Amino acid sequence: MIRNNRMKRYSIVSAVVAAGAMVLSTLPAQAADPGVTATEIKLGVSTPLTGSAGLAYGKVPGAMKAYFDYINANGGVYGRKIKLVVRDDKYLPTLAATQTTNLILKDNVFALVGALGTATHSKAYTAASLAAKNVPDLFVNTGFSGFGNISKYPTAFTVLPSYAMEAKIMSKFIKEKFAGQAVALIAQDDEFGVDGVNGFKAGALALANTTLYPQSSLNDARVKALLTGLSAIPGKPVVVLFGTTDVTALIFKAAESLNLVSKFTWIAGSVGGDANTLLALGVKPTTIDGAVAASFFPDAKDSTDAYVSQFMKINEKYNKGVSFDNIVLQGMNSAMLTVQALRAAGKNLTRTGLIEAIQNKGSKFASAGLVPLNYSATSHVGYNGYWFGQLNAKGELKPYGGTLAIFTTDSAAGAVEASTYTRPALPKNGIPTNS
Amino acid sequence: MLKFITAVLTSLTTGSIYALMSTALVLVWRSTRVINFAQAGQAVFTTYIGYEVTIRSGSYWIGVVAAIISGALIGAVIDRFFMRPIFKRIKSGPIVMIAPVVATLGLLGIIQAIIGFIWGLTYQSIPAPVSTDGFQVFGSTIAFSPFNLMVLISVTISMLLLTLLFQKTNIGLALRASAYSPEIAKLSGIKVDAIRTLGWALAGAAGGLAGMLFVPSSYLYPNAMDVLLVFGFIAAVIGGLDSLFGAVAGAMILGFAINFATSYISSKLVFPMAFIILILVLLIKPGGIFSSRKGRKD
Amino acid sequence: MLKLTSNKKRLLLFILLGWVLLLVGDRVGELRQYQGSFVATYSLAIASIILLTGYSGQLSLGHSALMAVGAYAGALSINNAHLHPVIALIIATLTAGVFGLILGVAVARLTGPYLAGTTLALAVSLPTLANQFPILGGEQGVVFDVGAPPARFGEGFSQYKWFFWISSLAALIMIWMISNLLNSRYGRTFRAIRDNQISAALAGINAGRVKVIAFAVSSGAAGLAGGLLVMLISGVSPSAFPLSLSFSLLTGAVVTGVYNLKGVMLGGLVLVAIPEIADSLTTRIGGSEGFTATLPGFLVSALLILAVLFAPNGPGHLIKRKKH
Repeated sequence: MIRNNRMKRYSIVSAVVAAGAMVLSTLPAQAADPGVTATEIKLGVSTPLTGSAGLAYGKVPGAMKAYFDYINANGGVYGRKIKLVVRDDKYLPTLAATQTTNLILKDNVFALVGALGTATHSKAYTAASLAAKNVPDLFVNTGFSGFGNISKYPTAFTVLPSYAMEAKIMSKFIKEKFAGQAVALIAQDDEFGVDGVNGFKAGALALANTTLYPQSSLNDARVKALLTGLSAIPGKPVVVLFGTTDVTALIFKAAESLNLVSKFTWIAGSVGGDANTLLALGVKPTTIDGAVAASFFPDAKDSTDAYVSQFMKINEKYNKGVSFDNIVLQGMNSAMLTVQALRAAGKNLTRTGLIEAIQNKGSKFASAGLVPLNYSATSHVGYNGYWFGQLNAKGELKPYGGTLAIFTTDSAAGAVEASTYTRPALPKNGIPTNS
Repeated sequence: MLKFITAVLTSLTTGSIYALMSTALVLVWRSTRVINFAQAGQAVFTTYIGYEVTIRSGSYWIGVVAAIISGALIGAVIDRFFMRPIFKRIKSGPIVMIAPVVATLGLLGIIQAIIGFIWGLTYQSIPAPVSTDGFQVFGSTIAFSPFNLMVLISVTISMLLLTLLFQKTNIGLALRASAYSPEIAKLSGIKVDAIRTLGWALAGAAGGLAGMLFVPSSYLYPNAMDVLLVFGFIAAVIGGLDSLFGAVAGAMILGFAINFATSYISSKLVFPMAFIILILVLLIKPGGIFSSRKGRKD
Repeated sequence: MLKLTSNKKRLLLFILLGWVLLLVGDRVGELRQYQGSFVATYSLAIASIILLTGYSGQLSLGHSALMAVGAYAGALSINNAHLHPVIALIIATLTAGVFGLILGVAVARLTGPYLAGTTLALAVSLPTLANQFPILGGEQGVVFDVGAPPARFGEGFSQYKWFFWISSLAALIMIWMISNLLNSRYGRTFRAIRDNQISAALAGINAGRVKVIAFAVSSGAAGLAGGLLVMLISGVSPSAFPLSLSFSLLTGAVVTGVYNLKGVMLGGLVLVAIPEIADSLTTRIGGSEGFTATLPGFLVSALLILAVLFAPNGPGHLIKRKKH
């Protein structure tokens, strides 16, 4: 009996301790929008920093922070400095859900910027109640067309062209340049890959072989089996790679090992096609030489481009030790868009105000993109087009056939059209002065 | 035909690495009656040491030797200074069964944390010492490279050496006796404790070799060998935890089953296949394929 | 004097605990409600492990898989069959329980490392099945949306408070049921099997059947915990149930005393608190990326080893021993 009592006491004690801990550590409720003070704006990002996706995309938050540091050193946004809180989600949806919730509840950020990953962020958006809390979700780092759906993701703004758009433009490109060859698609088995599959369907491209793989399941042996199977297709098939860079690298290296590189025409999708990362992951320069890739930016090695050279300078000074590539370019570009959005929202900064600012003025923001931004009261879609180029052994992307041909379209059944867009000039020294 | 040959060869390669892990687990089980989950951590840690040595010396093979030696040392240290105190403290009660297992789990976590702390979490690479391009057979390239062949040969040699040790030497006899019947072994004058530590050392060495053979085809990071541990364990259980031959056989069976399933059916079947094989084997023979009737005193 | 049997005492205790939690839930902010929901969920999962391993002596490393079964069953009920969330959670429990029943029969003849190995294989392979069957949603997973709190609770009733109420209540009810089971004749039978299977058989106990019952009940509880967990993250996907979850739960069970259900809430608290503490520590003192990412794992593992070394039978016994 005594043992029972003592044990019972112990269980009550443990319950009270738990309860007490929770009550004592409670914070008072916030009245105004969190994350904004007279001197600081807190932004948050959940993104892969470690793990195999971290290998490919780990540079993004550092690039964003470098640009923010540059702006902070030049007066900030109406005197407020931007602070970026970064949380690692290892490209796992569950972790992204909890980390994003932590950003909102624990770090009390004002807005999210550059959330990375389709499956990760779609989970995180619902789990962290971003819609209910009206948290602006700026320039998500994924091409999933679903994020442009305002009724489902009212506070999200895409920036990258969607995978459906990419697949549609790619379909037109393949039908024109590689008519008569079979086309094989290797894509990630989630909304990202499926978005692409739907885009190819909309683009009326016949696929001889479609392989959807779960993100974590591919390894060297399996890829080799896959490629061996594909090598049975006659002619010179086109192989489209719709996956992350680490998987693209895996596939290229397996092709090298099996001597199959010249058997196929390789087209690397935008997500996994960054040449510098591929080379850094061990792919041979001769392998990527001639591979086709799509982009909507100028090439990161093109220092004659005004935006590229300005970002390179900022990278030199505020992101020491990190080599400048397309990933860094993309991060800084999103950061520049963010600063313009914050400025457009005015000195009295609120979450609603920020969302409206992007809707009303976002389409005129200056950015490095060679295609237009499509923000409006009815559209949260950013860039909507691509140009195709060929990689050379140095990792530079040059326009296919020598002339730059940009195409725009939508994520649904709209036609693919040639674009005559010219982008706004770079603000002086890369410091926006818009309002 | 090409697909079949490729499948057989990749099965041999993956099976041989599983064999190293399952051997290590069986070695520890036979001497201590403990499933050493920390094996994954030990193997990765020693592989990092091998990596450092390879980078500094410029030679992969010196790195392998370093990994094997440090693996043996670490294995011995863990038995002497970690497992033995635990066994001393936990003598009675039902906790005896799970405490050592749980302890090795804790050790695994600590080792991986230490690795992350020292070397960071970014993926490292160890370049292979020989070519990883496939051999040319009948005009086309197969998915089997000189490196894969090297792995196969290394594992075969190690297995032969271990078998020689166990069957033909006095120490081997002592190892087998202590595992089978510690009290009688002690009466015969065998230092059971020292022999047990030797078992752990051998297991650690096997793990280090496994890591050095595995990493050139993949990446090196704290959790790099977790999956190998799982497959090694499954292989060991399939083969019956009591025999080294069973460990190798189980690993080969597992390797073939998985590779053929992923080659011919679907690449998504890796883990389910492992589970199915395991359940089938254990349903028919609860002690694993090669287990003997006696000897399962747990 | 009202005669209070130990069963009635236990019921009163749980009701009291329920009221305390409800009151606490009202006073704390959203972050604590969110974390509290995790504590409740983990406590339930740990309770299921205590039942299976501590009481019936079967070491399972596969509880993450059992949670996954419940989670997917629950998610599909809400998402595809459009059932009420409460029904979905009940379905989660029952589905996992039936699964556990079948599994228990399959592994009844296995002991020790063979059982551990099989459950380990289950833990790594089951989540990948989601990629085999499109209805399970692949890597994307299935959405688990319990919906907003009922309107009658008013404007100020946050989503997280709703989660907290649901998870605490569900966990409380299930743990109370397990507690009753363990204090009944069955509990003694479990312990008899655990301590000496042969003697138990000699005493007329059907070991196989008892082990299967333990497995089924434990799986049902784990399934419920799985359903609650994915409610918190708004959806189930294979990555929600990694092998490391099984290990963490085992850690929580050992730290609180794997033989005793009483301290189960402390175990849940530990599993939530340690990453929190590590997080606060690293934000305060900074450190390399390697340090910040590995500190939580290090603390949990160190705690586990200390627990095994110094309090293998749970902190309760430790307190008892000190008092002598």
